[in-house]
Amino acid sequence: MDNCNSLLDDAELVYLYDGTLEGMLAAVFTAFARHEDPANIVEAGDLQESMLCSYVPVTTELRYATRVKNGITEKLGERCYEDIKKVFLSDDAQKGGVLYRYIRYSLKAGRWSFTHLAEPEVADFVELRARVEKEAHCMLQFVRFAQLENGVFFSRIAPRASVVPLITDHFARRLNVQPFIIYDSVHGLASVFDTERWWLADARTLTVPKNSSVEDEYQALWQCFYDTVAIEERKNPTCQRNFMPKRFWGNMCEHIPPELRRKQPGTATPTAVARLGAARQKLLEEGYTP
Amino acid sequence: MELLDKLTILADAAKYDVACTSCGVSRKEVKGQLGNTMNAGICHSFSADGRCVTLLKVLYTNVCSYDCSYCINRRSNDVPRTTFSPRELAELVIGFYRRNYIEGLFLSSAVLKNPDYTTERMCEALRLLREEYGFRGYIHAKGVPGTSDELLVRLGVLADRVSLNIELPSEESLRLLAPEKSKASTLGPMAFVRDGIKANYQDKQLSTVRRTRFVPAGQSTQMIVGATPESDYQILRLSASLYRTMELRRVFFSAYIPVNSDPLLPTGTEAPLLREHRLYQADWLMRFYEFDVGEIIDEDEPFLDPLIDPKCNWALRHIDQFPVEINRVPYEMLLRVPGIGVKGAKRIVMARRHHSLRFEDLKRLNITLKRAQYFITCNGAYPEGVVFDPLSIYTLLAGETKKRRAKGVLDGQLQLLA
Repeated sequence: MDNCNSLLDDAELVYLYDGTLEGMLAAVFTAFARHEDPANIVEAGDLQESMLCSYVPVTTELRYATRVKNGITEKLGERCYEDIKKVFLSDDAQKGGVLYRYIRYSLKAGRWSFTHLAEPEVADFVELRARVEKEAHCMLQFVRFAQLENGVFFSRIAPRASVVPLITDHFARRLNVQPFIIYDSVHGLASVFDTERWWLADARTLTVPKNSSVEDEYQALWQCFYDTVAIEERKNPTCQRNFMPKRFWGNMCEHIPPELRRKQPGTATPTAVARLGAARQKLLEEGYTP
Repeated sequence: MELLDKLTILADAAKYDVACTSCGVSRKEVKGQLGNTMNAGICHSFSADGRCVTLLKVLYTNVCSYDCSYCINRRSNDVPRTTFSPRELAELVIGFYRRNYIEGLFLSSAVLKNPDYTTERMCEALRLLREEYGFRGYIHAKGVPGTSDELLVRLGVLADRVSLNIELPSEESLRLLAPEKSKASTLGPMAFVRDGIKANYQDKQLSTVRRTRFVPAGQSTQMIVGATPESDYQILRLSASLYRTMELRRVFFSAYIPVNSDPLLPTGTEAPLLREHRLYQADWLMRFYEFDVGEIIDEDEPFLDPLIDPKCNWALRHIDQFPVEINRVPYEMLLRVPGIGVKGAKRIVMARRHHSLRFEDLKRLNITLKRAQYFITCNGAYPEGVVFDPLSIYTLLAGETKKRRAKGVLDGQLQLLA
């Protein structure tokens, strides 16, 4: 180990890889080949070095990655490989170590290792997988499209895992007559659908055309519907935030505060809700009984 | 009138209907048409009251010829009235669906002239949406009690789910508060829909890919809780029998919120939200945990204990069956342990095949031990520092509830073990 930059002899071993799935699998292969036990595998780019770790860069050899992939699909099944790809999309700083330990454990324990939920290697993996799946589901719920002037529907998201590849299929099937772009501003990734097929595009920077002329109208209608359906007597903000954490609100048009909305609803006439309230109040004051 | 005002009026008038689910049917997409449905349903937003928004929930019209005391739309209320045109409504649904705001449409209506006329108008709006706009998303349509069979057939083919509201848990209350409705006018159409759904499965000619199915997502109903004197016992007995005889997918409960002042209605009370919550817990036990209604509640104590949930209540009454050994107890009994849900029980069954589980393993399986700890052993050992005594367990669990709900908890419900 020539690249030892730690001050301690028993420092934790950390592999550095290039951020690709192949790089990750090649790093796992390297650990097997060298009989080493890395505590974590992290992307070389976004590294905050710790003095307690020694860092070893691993080169991405495609043939090594392929051997690990084939080993997994043959011994553990396609499904297991799909799960590994899913966990790879996580933003968790520990994902490299979790993946490595799960692969090592499973190759030893065999096809049914995914049921060994109480084993730490499996429990950590299952938890990360669940978090990625949860994030993907939240996107199915909270993605908001806006129609651009060129007719394409555009959505900006900021998820905690790079879930665009997991969610695009859902929207492509559902909205199949409608071209759209889903842009993940955190991971710099976009998916593009042209009503025939969809593909991923690297998108560090993006210039978005203006909204179409009807867009403000629909957003105003939706905001007005959203505000109206809440029942005052049942107000429960904690419950609301549990189901729909505030970190998603920034990209959802119904959460734009009224003063910042582009089209103000009901400015010409008092809103129906106010009228209902006034009518009821008047009746009560008059001592109304049916 | 502007569309924005119409939407406000007709959404405001529909919001007291609690059913808002888009689940129960998978319909694949078709090239060139907008939309599909997913069996699990998707919630697209959560309103300030914490309820899920999955469908555009509106009335077709709030012009009503009925005068039900509890209802905001009763004809004697002086409120602004309006009606959608079918095209307006369809444009709204399509516009919202394209932006991923909703899973589809929930269309209810006040009674315009008479039930048949109302249903005919609703069918026309849905037909336009399905046929002209090719919409394949989810549609939940309200059946108006007293609608004729022919119109129900039309409605049921266009919609995924149909629901007829029981409204109040007894005939007596219905007569008092909703004089134009009766048990028979609701149960008749409900039974008709049930038979139609059954025919889906029996009619062999329908089993092609392009079949038209009748109410594929099943039917549901709802009743108002707290407006009339019925007990939880009566309400749960009624919903159990509706599940059994009418084969409903869901029975919804709606805590009574006073919107009208009427001498026949309770006044000034807070909405009984905790009671509604307990009823839903009991409902879950019947639908997913294989409890019989008789195990949850009986005539001697006709109200659910507000301080502890119905499953804890059952466990404390059957304390002789506890604690159970987590490594050996069958799945059915695992489901009956307070604090262990369907997912948790499945995880335990899966994990214990590999090796026997200790308490720290349970934590790794994401099992919350707060309630479960009193009712289980791991390899014969009871958790350290926990006392197995029904009375103290009750006090501790009830204390938790009190802490969580600093207000709104009823007193004088401690008769369980006293």
